[in-house]
Amino acid sequence: MRVVPTIKLFDCLIVPIQIELNDSTVEKIQNQILNEIEKLGINTLIIDVSTIDVIDSYISYMLLETANMVKMMGCDTFICGIQPQVALTLAQMGIDLKGINFAQDLEGAFKLIKRMRGNSYEGKGIFDRD
Amino acid sequence: MKEKESLIEIDPKDYDIVVKIKDEKDIVVARQMVKDFAKRLNFSLGDVTKLSTAVSELARNIYRYAGEGFIFVREINDKGSAILEIVAYDNGPGIKDLNLAMQSGYSTTKGSFGLGLSGVKRLMDEFYINSKVDKGTVVIVKKRRRNY
Amino acid sequence: MKEYLLTKFNEILSELEKVSGVKEGWEDFLIVLAKYEEGVKESELQKSIQNLFEIIPFEKVVDGIEYLEKIVKNFPAGYVYKQICCVQDQYLKEKNNYLTELKNVLSELATPTIRIWKDVVLLPLIGTLDSERAQSMSEKLLEFISETRAKIAIIDVTGVPIIDTVVGGYLIEMFNAVKLMGCDVILTGIKPNIAHTLVKIGIDFNMVIVKRDLESGLKYAISEIEEK
Repeated sequence: MRVVPTIKLFDCLIVPIQIELNDSTVEKIQNQILNEIEKLGINTLIIDVSTIDVIDSYISYMLLETANMVKMMGCDTFICGIQPQVALTLAQMGIDLKGINFAQDLEGAFKLIKRMRGNSYEGKGIFDRD
Repeated sequence: MKEKESLIEIDPKDYDIVVKIKDEKDIVVARQMVKDFAKRLNFSLGDVTKLSTAVSELARNIYRYAGEGFIFVREINDKGSAILEIVAYDNGPGIKDLNLAMQSGYSTTKGSFGLGLSGVKRLMDEFYINSKVDKGTVVIVKKRRRNY
Repeated sequence: MKEYLLTKFNEILSELEKVSGVKEGWEDFLIVLAKYEEGVKESELQKSIQNLFEIIPFEKVVDGIEYLEKIVKNFPAGYVYKQICCVQDQYLKEKNNYLTELKNVLSELATPTIRIWKDVVLLPLIGTLDSERAQSMSEKLLEFISETRAKIAIIDVTGVPIIDTVVGGYLIEMFNAVKLMGCDVILTGIKPNIAHTLVKIGIDFNMVIVKRDLESGLKYAISEIEEK
């Protein structure tokens, strides 16, 4: 059941967050993402938060939780588009989003993904080893 | 403000904004109102973000732990500089061990980074909390407008 | 009072010169004062007082006023002192405005954000870091990173004289915020004595890449960028 619009690019799933995140919507989004990862053969999740102007400890935790869930399915997570003021506020609150990769925009995310995969977009996730 | 048998005495008439927190969407309402209020008072973008984030934390705590409560907001004028004061009030279960709760990363429920109170304290200029088990919790934070 | 002032004008003037050391300014003042009973504008009196302050030191002006208070009947002492307060307040306000302006200029000068290479920005920190400066510098750096889509930020602390737990905390917050924007941080310019102190007080900057100086930091940044 699609709660948010998502875009598949190569084996990456791009999820722009444009709705208000609360207990019920987060649950639905997480399930949608996990199902799409399975169905579409996704290896990297990219969450775009560029329209979010406030990220508190709850949202932070939800993002971390989501990253941990997709990791269980062999996916790594990128969060892109954290606004400057939001970034500063998060840092000042002392919130640590361990295990998540960050990029300023989609282009930056893909460059980083490509680099991490040894210069190929397709196929391997970064957790796969030869 | 005096503390008698009740946690604190608050007169809504003293405040510019009063938001009742009952549904999850009230958190968004409180956040938006504080954001607009702070902007109108010419707080810097950084401070507007901090205030919005703080009220989001406090309102969510009310929603999650007490079920319902209030957010009071007002502008205080202190020696020519503007201060924005936010009061988060509920008659919920209260916090048993305040010191423990104020530590970063502490949480009684699994699904969170804890009460986020230590984060709120770091964002604000002044932070006051009082909580009595089975009586409720009141948090008062203040931020002074910087004149850059 | 007017008559008295006008008849004894020169006498009073030479006494004032003895008391305050100077004759100029008092002439003007006395003339304005003479108009008092007929009605004189506050601004006019304040102007003549301002004039006095520009010529004579504060204490001497007060000496002169005290002298006038003694010998002039019906001298409107309260009114005159009130005007002096207004003038002083005006000075204070101007001084504060000037100070704020200076602060702003200093802040601009001390926090230049420089685009030093493609996708690389440089922030040479200069001066002590207090809470306000840390906040405004962090904001400025983050906005700049956003504008330039920078991938690496070199933060040089050669010009920061003291790094204690508080300043270390501000820096760590800055580093973490930069990283949340997908930008790597290279820290340079830690002097030997600061390196010593930092470890002793238990601060570590393990979340960033540390290079000895700007040269090595820049070299590293460029090699990383060319690779990306």
